[in-house]
Amino acid sequence: MDLATLAELLSATLRISTPLLFAAMGGLISERAGTFAVGIEGMMLAGAFGGALAALLTGSSAAGLVASLFTGMALALVVALATTRFRADQMVTGLAVNILALGLTSFLLRGLFGGRTPVIRLPTLPAWPVPLLGDIPLLGPVLFRQPPLVYLGFLLVVPVALYLAKTKSGLMLRAVGENPEAAFAVGTDPQRVRTLAILAGGAFAGLGGAVLSLQEVGTFTDGMTNGRGFIALAAIIVGRWNPFGAMAGCLLFGAVAALESRIQGWGLPVSSYVVQMVPYLVALGLLAGIGRSSKMPGAIGAPFLRH
Amino acid sequence: MLEMRGIEKRYGAVRANRGVDLVVPEGTIVGLLGENGSGKSTLMKVLFGIVAADAGTITFKGRVLKQHGPAQAIAAGLGMIHQHFTLVDAMSVTENVMLAWDRAGWWLRPKDIAREIRTTSAAFGLDIDPDARVADLPHGQRQRVEIMKAILAGAELLILDEPTSNLSPPEVAGLMEVMRKLKARGHSIIFISHKLDEVLEICDEVVVLRDGAVTGRCPTTGATKASLAHMMVGRDVTASVERAAVEPGETVLRVSILSRSDAAGVARLKDVSFSLRAGEVLAVAGVDGNGQTDLADCLAGLRVPTSGGIDLCGLDITFAPVRERLQAGLAYIPVDRATTSLVPAMTVADNLALREFDAAPFSRAGFLTLGGFRARARERMRDFDIRAAGPQSPARTLSGGNQQKIVVAREIGRRPKVLVAFQPTWGLDPGATRFVIDQILALRAAGGAILYLSAALDEVLMLGDRIAVMHGGRLSPPRPRGDVDVTEIGLLMAGIDPAGIRAA
Amino acid sequence: MLDPGPLVPRPAPAAPTPRADRLRGLLAGGGAQTFGLTLGAIVLALVITAGLILLAGKNPVTAYGALLRGAFGSLDRLAFALNKSTPYIITGVGVALCFRAKVINIGGEGQIALGGIAASFVVLMAPASLPAPLLLSLAMLAGAAAGALWALLAAFVFIKRNVHEVLCTLLLNFVGVLLVSEVLHAPLGEEGAGFPQSPLFPRAGWLPGLIAGTDLHIGILFAVAAAVLGHVLLWRTTFGFRLRILGASRPAAAYVGLSAARSTALVMAIAGALAGLAGGIEVSGVHNRLIEGFSHGFGFNAVAVALIAGLNPLAVLPAGLFLGFLEAGTLAMQREVGVPSSLVYVIEGLMMVFVLCAVGMGARNRKV
Repeated sequence: MDLATLAELLSATLRISTPLLFAAMGGLISERAGTFAVGIEGMMLAGAFGGALAALLTGSSAAGLVASLFTGMALALVVALATTRFRADQMVTGLAVNILALGLTSFLLRGLFGGRTPVIRLPTLPAWPVPLLGDIPLLGPVLFRQPPLVYLGFLLVVPVALYLAKTKSGLMLRAVGENPEAAFAVGTDPQRVRTLAILAGGAFAGLGGAVLSLQEVGTFTDGMTNGRGFIALAAIIVGRWNPFGAMAGCLLFGAVAALESRIQGWGLPVSSYVVQMVPYLVALGLLAGIGRSSKMPGAIGAPFLRH
Repeated sequence: MLEMRGIEKRYGAVRANRGVDLVVPEGTIVGLLGENGSGKSTLMKVLFGIVAADAGTITFKGRVLKQHGPAQAIAAGLGMIHQHFTLVDAMSVTENVMLAWDRAGWWLRPKDIAREIRTTSAAFGLDIDPDARVADLPHGQRQRVEIMKAILAGAELLILDEPTSNLSPPEVAGLMEVMRKLKARGHSIIFISHKLDEVLEICDEVVVLRDGAVTGRCPTTGATKASLAHMMVGRDVTASVERAAVEPGETVLRVSILSRSDAAGVARLKDVSFSLRAGEVLAVAGVDGNGQTDLADCLAGLRVPTSGGIDLCGLDITFAPVRERLQAGLAYIPVDRATTSLVPAMTVADNLALREFDAAPFSRAGFLTLGGFRARARERMRDFDIRAAGPQSPARTLSGGNQQKIVVAREIGRRPKVLVAFQPTWGLDPGATRFVIDQILALRAAGGAILYLSAALDEVLMLGDRIAVMHGGRLSPPRPRGDVDVTEIGLLMAGIDPAGIRAA
Repeated sequence: MLDPGPLVPRPAPAAPTPRADRLRGLLAGGGAQTFGLTLGAIVLALVITAGLILLAGKNPVTAYGALLRGAFGSLDRLAFALNKSTPYIITGVGVALCFRAKVINIGGEGQIALGGIAASFVVLMAPASLPAPLLLSLAMLAGAAAGALWALLAAFVFIKRNVHEVLCTLLLNFVGVLLVSEVLHAPLGEEGAGFPQSPLFPRAGWLPGLIAGTDLHIGILFAVAAAVLGHVLLWRTTFGFRLRILGASRPAAAYVGLSAARSTALVMAIAGALAGLAGGIEVSGVHNRLIEGFSHGFGFNAVAVALIAGLNPLAVLPAGLFLGFLEAGTLAMQREVGVPSSLVYVIEGLMMVFVLCAVGMGARNRKV
């Protein structure tokens, strides 16, 4: 493999990892507070749709980004209400929300345009090269000549990590995820914290969806997230519920996906379908290898019951 | 510093506190002594604001505490160290302190907090490492973290509820040191315990509770263990049940040097040995947390002993699975009705079949014979007077007493060779309690061997042909009921060897 | 305290009639309550979607009318809807059994895909002289076996390595679906077809029709059988008893001496076999070939059906029919009124959320 191909591969890896990263950050916040983030697939899809729609209607990508935050949060609100107020099972509610998102986005896509699928052709966000840094050989184009959401995604990891590790609010959030009774004993309201965490997760996941529709593809198609949300979940687990670990996980899956789509061109005697299976098998293998991680938030999955 | 006067508290028909007075001066350690159900926990819950008293006053540092909750109690300067800690295992000591502490601010400065922790730790001899993860800390250390949290929150009166129940002897000594340092700095402590020697060692004054009322109050300097034990337990053997004279048969259960250490390496059972004969009840007294659960679960097959052996009628069942033990004739009434011995969502009939459903009359070739379920249910409901709308009523609709009747009917109805009963009357009203006791005696008369573990001394004294005491994972040598002295039992329950006293 | 005093006479030794007693048990077990809540969930979902239809600028009444006609309007339509319901019912029974044991198996789609692959292999590779009944039986068995193995693969990972079963079954879904494409790409693919699909099955490999002149195949009979057998398994066998205990309380299961691992593996195998059978029926009865994407969404639909059925195998029958008719109806609704058929997913998702909320609040009242 020559240097140019490597650079191209690395650059693609970063771009492909970005939506995963947003979704993983969102899912991470939700899970650290004690709610399984199975629904981020649906929230991502909602964000992709909202972003595309807003950008189409207003002609502004920025408006699309803002809209994606809200559409992601709208679906997150459903999860939050169901799991905290009504004590619905977290995992299956996430699944239900995924189905709901699929239906709603497909329906609204056609329904709001008189029953026919509109042609959405949006300009994809161009690369924002960083002056000087972008000219470094090899690393320059990889790290500093990327579309803006890539920068945002990777930069976001730091504030998320700082929030969780260094702020009182983040400490409370983690306590709610580990032992909500202990948090309750010091005056926190675990239901409130979990709800806010789920909403934040929805916002992040929505942004991740916007990356797909506004930055990568330039349109919205039914079910376009295609399981990325679940890969993000696997990245969270592989990363042991740590922001930087999850980032590494996303990069890993992004690299596998980048490789997979380029392997065709190399004429290897491997079927493209088998290659497409690799990310999922890798995820399964990693999960199996890790087994039950002690880092999983202790109280995840259990509704908080006030005595 | 603290004055509680005339505290009254009722739970339904039970008077948990009857006109209790408690005075704690500044800089003293007052011991609150009593066995299970004596009212100590209720009194402290009232003090800390977890429950409200029906009558009585509480004055703390000149201020009256009324209708208060834990938050106000903490703000006033009270600190309570519960038996079950509210610590987040996965976090460090520093993080746990920051969680509880308002002064930590929105941007955490763990280094500063850690420094404060170290200072306080040194001052009180707590020996806490701020960076340690709580999950890695032994029980004794976790307790100290809780104490630290209380001190940092400004507690002047600390309530320690059975603090030594899970501590090893060196940890106990360490705790005593900490308590002395606290006292030296002007703090007061209420030390709740059932262990006489500890109370005598560390407390300035002792208040003894029994059945909700104060039965004695004296400074520790003048007290003797025997007098305290009598105040704690003082009753005669009540022979209010009719006990058939049964000649014990052959030995059916032999337990040899059974020991068990839990996952943290703490020894929960230490060389427990006893044998049980057909037609006799071995009643074991002891306060919760002294190894009874481990013994019962090891016998039933729910936990694995670390060493030793269990032999049932010649069959070695030390590591046998539950099914094998059932087939060999073992029955088990566990203490937990809500999730273990019963499935509340299932019907009465289903619960009655819970342990034997894959054999006749409940099933045949893998298919359930519902007629068999119903027939057995009707039979048991009649014989054991289980009050329910019908065999298909869900068990959760029954009263606690009737739920336990299901368990008793199931386990005793099989005419087991050996029955292990662990607190079978827990949470039952007197009528249901009487029923359970009658059933156990009936099983005894029919030739069954029963190991009866309970914290209720009355029952132990009523039921046991032989009586022993569990303390600290050890079983005292069983004594025939005629040879038993109640005060001695009290001493044994409190961890003191009566032989030592008699010799003195 | 409900314990009546001595003044209340004891119940007569002759127990109440079995039927009255069972009814009482059903009601006391919250059966009526659960049914009512489920109905409420469905109604609420339909009301909200009516609002969405308005938002799309169409009249909900005409839309729902078209839906009903699309579902029930003619024999052809009925046949279509029944065919649609079949895989949901069969797979749904398996999912209901798993959920009863608190095993959240959402790998239906992958298991169906594997079932379709196996059945297709058998039909396409078998010697031509094989009589149809034998051929079909072998194909269905192969489908069930493949589905069971796929489920057991996931079970092995999550039982042995203690990973959450949702992720294991979910990831294998993707792999299973890709396997279909892979298989169609090479061994089974039809040359020159514009779409990834296998050659058409020989007639012997077509699932027989039930009503002449319609597309209705005998799969619906399998569905009814599955629901009934599932019911019997859950309520009348010792295995079902074990599943119920396991799902109700782990400590109780340990107390009784149940092996959670064994029961979990078995129920996964059963669910996988059912899903695999559904896959075989689908390729044999509906498409008469293996076709890419034939299993799309089936797994999640099965979960929805199981939930709406309150995890009762027998109730999976009406629940699956409901979803099947709903799907058929929304397709017609799209054709006639222009309301997008993806509305069915909206209704499905909303129903699931509402049922989950109802169960979460009244979880204590479900009969176990």
